[in-house]
Amino acid sequence: MEDARSIEGGMMIGEKLEVIRIGAEAIISRLEWNGFKMVSKHRVPKPYRFPELDRWIRDRRTLHEARVITSLRRLGIPCPAILLMDRSEATLYLQLIEGVELKKVLDSLPAEEVERLANELGRMVGRMHRGGIAHGDLTTSNIMLDRMGNLYLIDFGLSAITDDLEELAVDIHLLDRSLESVHHRLRAAFMRSFLKGYATAAGMDFLQTLIEKVKEIRSRGRYVEERRKRH
Amino acid sequence: MAASKLDEKLVLGIESTAHTFGVGIASSSGKILANVNYVYRPREGGIHPREAAQHHSRIAAKALREALEQAGVKPVDLDGIAFSIGPGMGPCLRVGATVARAIALRLGKPLIGVNHSVAHIEIGRLITGCKDPVVLYVAGGNTMITSYIDGRYRVLGETLDIAAGNCLDVFGIKAGIGPMPAPEEYARRGERFHSLPYRVKGMDVSFSGLLTAALKLLGEVRLEDLCLSITETVYSMLTETLERALAYAEKEEILLVGGLARSRRLMEMIEEMAKLHDAKVYAVPPEYAGDNGAMIAWTGVLQLIAGQTLRIEDSRVRPRFRLDEAEARWRMLGL
Repeated sequence: MEDARSIEGGMMIGEKLEVIRIGAEAIISRLEWNGFKMVSKHRVPKPYRFPELDRWIRDRRTLHEARVITSLRRLGIPCPAILLMDRSEATLYLQLIEGVELKKVLDSLPAEEVERLANELGRMVGRMHRGGIAHGDLTTSNIMLDRMGNLYLIDFGLSAITDDLEELAVDIHLLDRSLESVHHRLRAAFMRSFLKGYATAAGMDFLQTLIEKVKEIRSRGRYVEERRKRH
Repeated sequence: MAASKLDEKLVLGIESTAHTFGVGIASSSGKILANVNYVYRPREGGIHPREAAQHHSRIAAKALREALEQAGVKPVDLDGIAFSIGPGMGPCLRVGATVARAIALRLGKPLIGVNHSVAHIEIGRLITGCKDPVVLYVAGGNTMITSYIDGRYRVLGETLDIAAGNCLDVFGIKAGIGPMPAPEEYARRGERFHSLPYRVKGMDVSFSGLLTAALKLLGEVRLEDLCLSITETVYSMLTETLERALAYAEKEEILLVGGLARSRRLMEMIEEMAKLHDAKVYAVPPEYAGDNGAMIAWTGVLQLIAGQTLRIEDSRVRPRFRLDEAEARWRMLGL
């Protein structure tokens, strides 16, 4: 890691102020270190997993997330900067983003604002994809909105450094489905603006190839039962 | 008939999406009065839609008679006739639909088209008593995570290629030990864990790369160790995506539906995960886990109360009927 310094031995950095998010795989806490605000992202051991598999998954995702964030920042895509990495504890120390999950506020925003944000997100994701990174868990709870109306991508534990069209298409599929399941009234307008923004950043031709791939993925997942039954 | 029974509704339900032809009778008080199921078993190989449909036609009258006898109900006592309208195999679905239409017309009772996947969930809610769960649906060829959000069961996650059960079955067969539960039994004697591709994308999973990698290791490592590695990896992927869906949908209950729900190790993992979130885990008992008529009858009751019935001319079967295309109006009524 060029941007992130690694520390060993599981030492605690800073003073823990509060836990701000208990996610499915990590606990995010707000910290203060010499007056500097930041967050720690600790990937907690999962008692249900086979110990070796658990250690391997947590270490790999921590290291991988650090690597991806470094690349994203180089591409100029807004995401929290890495301050330190503690592999032995599967913990990253990151810049604090003072904002809310998009999921929490999206349904209450005015229509023009939803479209502006969708377009902006489209540009960010388009640039990220052209830079060879797939997010891997692109849902509205992994997008932050700050008070100035800026968006940030967070949570890259499942991301991939790749130019495989399939991996990139899965991002669009996941985003669309998270809208469909939780914000279904906004889905059509959101996706329209998102794809416009995406085309601006990644080009119309690239977008079209990608959409074909998304359709293929959808037809694979949804109808698995039916296809199997028919053969 | 007793006065208290006047507003009790009785629905007969017919299941015929694949190899099962089932007839169930359910009442609006939540009683399953009959559940008669006949399963077509091909002599060899996989299921053949036309042969399954022929089996269903042969057995239909018998199954109906037995269900009415079991429930002690006369056809005139019924308030509605439900059938699985999809998803499933066209020829099989059409047998159930034809029988249902004929009875509904003959008796002049409402016809109710039930989504097969919704019915798996609703019978699970009825039997286990859970109210608003995140559902892991791992039946036959299906791997899906779903939950009720705003009028429908929404698909939160699913497999991007093959089903979890399919992955383990194919592995077991190619390894020469047979389908599930054999791989899980061998896994109990496993000691060493081998890394296999662990592919989780948000709440989606992918098993085909994992299956290929495991098959390549056949004969190179101890079979028991390989069984341990593949089952642990598959179950961990399912548990992790379920955990993510639980947080995302903000629910407090988990319902396991389908064949793989019978796996002890998977259940154990999901229970440990649920403890971390103070969530409760429910599993559909074996009797109602497979395809059955009772689940169609019970979902038929819910739809009848919510006014989701069909005109005969709109009752064409829907082999590709997705879970999230089906409205669940009874849930809006708090049922």
